[in-house]
Amino acid sequence: MHVDRKSVKVVVAGGFGTGKTTLVGSVSEIDPLTTEEVLTQASVGVDDVTGIEDKTSTTVALDFGRITITPEVVLYLFGTPGQDRFWFIWDELAQGAVGAIVLIDTRRLDASFAAVDYFERRGMPFVAAVNRFFGECLYSEDEIRAALKLDPAVPLLWCDARDRASSKQALIELVRHAMARLPVAT
Amino acid sequence: MTYDVWDGDDEAEAGRLVPLYILVNGRTSPRNTNLDLATQVIALPVDATRLEPEYRDIVRRCNDWMSIAEIGAYLGRPLTITKVMVDVLLEQGFLAVGSPAQEQIVDRRLLEMVLAGLQRL
Ligand SMILES: Nc1nc2c(ncn2[C@@H]2O[C@H](COP(=O)(O)OP(=O)(O)OP(=O)(O)O)[C@@H](O)[C@H]2O)c(=O)[nH]1
Ligand SMILES: [Mg+2]
Repeated sequence: MHVDRKSVKVVVAGGFGTGKTTLVGSVSEIDPLTTEEVLTQASVGVDDVTGIEDKTSTTVALDFGRITITPEVVLYLFGTPGQDRFWFIWDELAQGAVGAIVLIDTRRLDASFAAVDYFERRGMPFVAAVNRFFGECLYSEDEIRAALKLDPAVPLLWCDARDRASSKQALIELVRHAMARLPVAT
Repeated sequence: MTYDVWDGDDEAEAGRLVPLYILVNGRTSPRNTNLDLATQVIALPVDATRLEPEYRDIVRRCNDWMSIAEIGAYLGRPLTITKVMVDVLLEQGFLAVGSPAQEQIVDRRLLEMVLAGLQRL
């Protein structure tokens, strides 16, 4: 049985401690939940899943939230794990997603470089959102774009991940950007 | 990737195992490749009382639409295991599945709905 209940995914990415969980929490209708994915070596044996507590596997925690759009459509917001090395998880999160919000902490621009690079390579729509931790911004927009090698077409915005309206605006910008990239209907 | 969640004899390691009798023909990783962590499922009006407790817990959680990620989070089970268990329940007719998020999103109407929904927040 297949029903017309749709899930829409958005990825909230960025380097370690850039405010991903905070953003998910500020805009989600539920307190952010955490789920775990178990990663094992590429070639897994029959016992691999049952032996998930053993040392050859790694558990990665994923934070996520949800926003009910209509009675049929729910938007899920998934934060990427802080560590960049779990690309398997990134692939799972990115698959079929509308796009990503890449959070940037201007005190550590390089922390978000891997995320920018990832979505650019995948050709996936994303917006770069500078999280103003203390209202400060050390750099101009041009400097940030240059440091992150942002494509000029990628929207760059300022946000406060703790603020619901600000997080909501980042989501809106992302969806607009994703729509603008759709092929024109004929 | 082909896992088998059931590990025959070792009860001691059975914390998250799939019970034998529900494991039809030895289950491997989800057959339904569209089953992604945002896919939502809902319980069908079927008597689930004879299911193993681990499975019954899932069915009970799904009296309203719920994503695989949410089921995993609420029941404290890894996503990999949750997917396999949900797949078993789908196959056996205890759950129904919604549209996967997995399809490439090229659906302008869906994005328009999302945009309008966000603006209403
Ligand atoms: N002042 C200020 N603090 C913030 C802001 N956003 C996040 N923080 C704080 O920064 C810290 C890190 O935020 P998180 O949301 O946990 O960041 P994260 O990206 O999820 O971190 P990891 O998952 O560990 O990579 C927390 O202590 C937040 O409270 C902000 O806009 N302003
Ligand atoms: Mg976090």
